[in-house]
Amino acid sequence: MKRVLIALSVGASVLLAACGGTSVANNPSTGGPVAITPPAAALTGAGATFPGPFYDAARFAYNLKFSQVTVNYQAVGSGAGIQQLTKKLVDFGASDVPMNPTELTAAGGSDAVVQIASTLGTESLAYNLPGVSNGQLKLTPKTIAGIFLGTIKNWNDPALAADNSGVSLPNQAITVVHRSDGSGTTYIFTDYLSTVSSDWKSKVGKGKSVSWPVGQGASGNAAVATRITQTPGAIGYVELAYVLQTNMTQASLQNHDGQFVIPSPDGATAAASQFPAVSPTQFSIVDAPGQKSAPISGYSWLMLYKDQADKTKGTALVDYLDWLVTDGQSYATNVHYAKLPTNMVKADIISLKTVTSGGAALLPSNAPAPS
Amino acid sequence: MSRGTAERVVPTPLVAASHQRRFVLGDRIFRAMAYAAALLVMVIAVIFLIALVIPALPAITRFGLGFFATRTWDPVRNEFGALTPIYGTLVTSAIALLIAFPIGLGAALFLAEDARLRLLRGPLSFLIELLAGIPSVVIGLWAFFTLTPLMRNNVDPFLQHALGFLPLFRGTPSGYGFLTAGLVLAIMVLPIMIALSRDVIRAVPRELREASLALGATNAETIWSVILPYARVGITGAVLLSLGRALGETIAVTMVIGNTMQISTSLFATGYTLPSVIANEFTEANGTLYLGSLFYLGVVLVLITIAVNVLARLLIWRFSGSGRAMA
Repeated sequence: MKRVLIALSVGASVLLAACGGTSVANNPSTGGPVAITPPAAALTGAGATFPGPFYDAARFAYNLKFSQVTVNYQAVGSGAGIQQLTKKLVDFGASDVPMNPTELTAAGGSDAVVQIASTLGTESLAYNLPGVSNGQLKLTPKTIAGIFLGTIKNWNDPALAADNSGVSLPNQAITVVHRSDGSGTTYIFTDYLSTVSSDWKSKVGKGKSVSWPVGQGASGNAAVATRITQTPGAIGYVELAYVLQTNMTQASLQNHDGQFVIPSPDGATAAASQFPAVSPTQFSIVDAPGQKSAPISGYSWLMLYKDQADKTKGTALVDYLDWLVTDGQSYATNVHYAKLPTNMVKADIISLKTVTSGGAALLPSNAPAPS
Repeated sequence: MSRGTAERVVPTPLVAASHQRRFVLGDRIFRAMAYAAALLVMVIAVIFLIALVIPALPAITRFGLGFFATRTWDPVRNEFGALTPIYGTLVTSAIALLIAFPIGLGAALFLAEDARLRLLRGPLSFLIELLAGIPSVVIGLWAFFTLTPLMRNNVDPFLQHALGFLPLFRGTPSGYGFLTAGLVLAIMVLPIMIALSRDVIRAVPRELREASLALGATNAETIWSVILPYARVGITGAVLLSLGRALGETIAVTMVIGNTMQISTSLFATGYTLPSVIANEFTEANGTLYLGSLFYLGVVLVLITIAVNVLARLLIWRFSGSGRAMA
């Protein structure tokens, strides 16, 4: 039965490929093109705000390609996205941190849900120091932890001066700005601080919301960015896309190898490629080794049920996600996210192939894979 | 029932009787609907309270009453306490009332008492109602982009220069914090304060005013010793209603309070309020204890609001008992 279905779908795909208007990719095993046309469906997803701009660009492009499929995405926050998936209110959820064991149990066990990495982002430390231009301020893991722990309180602190010879840092109090809403951005940043600073790990720890030793909170990347721009002497962690869009000044960050890098999508890809064994349970890629690695990087995740009740919808969903992690990746760079490294795309497709409906796999076994 | 008796006592023509019967039926239906509506409101209130307490139970059983006295709010270690946001809520509301009370009362007296500027009354009342109608998120947006830089660059340094010897005005002003949030709240409660006080002052009997003036009292003396004492219960009601609004205001405060879990004597310091914590953290609150603690904050907020209402009732009862009913 399964074989017949696959044969049928492959046959149909080839037929449709001949007719045109289909997505075509190279199949690495045969070298020949494989084509898929998704069935008509309206898909809904909800979750993380961090990759929201990427998902919006991608779903729009997908709909232009396959007008019979519409994808809706509500950027309501990772936690809300996970809850809506658990209650089966949406077809897929999105989160900057994969679902943890408790959340998986609530959703029916770790085997019930498939989690795939969808994109890759990196964070910047944006600052407002008149006279110190973009990338001029150099920060090391030690000084970053000091600033956010509140042990470095003034921009003329000797610890900062030591890393910034040639830059005149003013005698001005440091105003730390952080996220006040629970967010994946905060999780990745505090994960980084916990990795590079044992003080931070023991005093604060990592999480989507933490008990901040210093600073003031603003809700969302945009509000943090605005508050930094308004306040002389302010510094805060902001997702790279917001920094680039608003032309904020951001610091050069010293990575694990001791190199100072200005966070960029390429830096995120470089960091991610250092962790080939990333999985939904081992997902941290902060403080990555490598000369070019951007130190505060992280994946964003999508989750869906392994057993899809509605076969038509399920087929469209896996096709959309398969496209998102392959061809769809080109829309990530437009909005300053990084492309997934090849190893991650392969892992994603292997995961997507486990999605079934009525016991039959929904993604053809020869589905597009990265070339 | 009396209607039934009337029917029996006074014989009515057939047509009129059928009319009346129809009327009785309509009356009954209307009564049933009114009862149902009243009952529905009560049921909603009870369900609401239950729905608020049940998810809060994990936190209530874990932290108990110690929740009210704990300053920690640490989602990483699952340790939660409400003292810091309670402090922020009370301080910002107090600032709001301190600013809004004198201004509101003055404006109300002007609108109600000064007959010379009758032409201005209409437009002014209209503007005040307009201010009441501005959505809080819009006021928050204005405060975030316009008021905070103004506070940081002008108002706060001035206050620090003039009153810096007080601990209230020490520290580095950032434009955000208790004072700015209190000011925003003051703007938001002013319309309530003015409109209610104005109506109360207008309701003071004309004879009292005239008697006072006839005895040779000036306008100011009349206001001070006749009108205000007479209207004080109503004005107290206006203050408490304003307080209720200030306690629960969320979005505009969240945008300017600074969202820092700290208790500080300085009004320039950033802080947190109960509604702001809930609004900020519920989307990503994972785990029953964390979410439960947010619901517990909601319970605390409802309790404070109820306390304010009960206080208002008690005051009104006390004063109306002495013969000056006005509420």
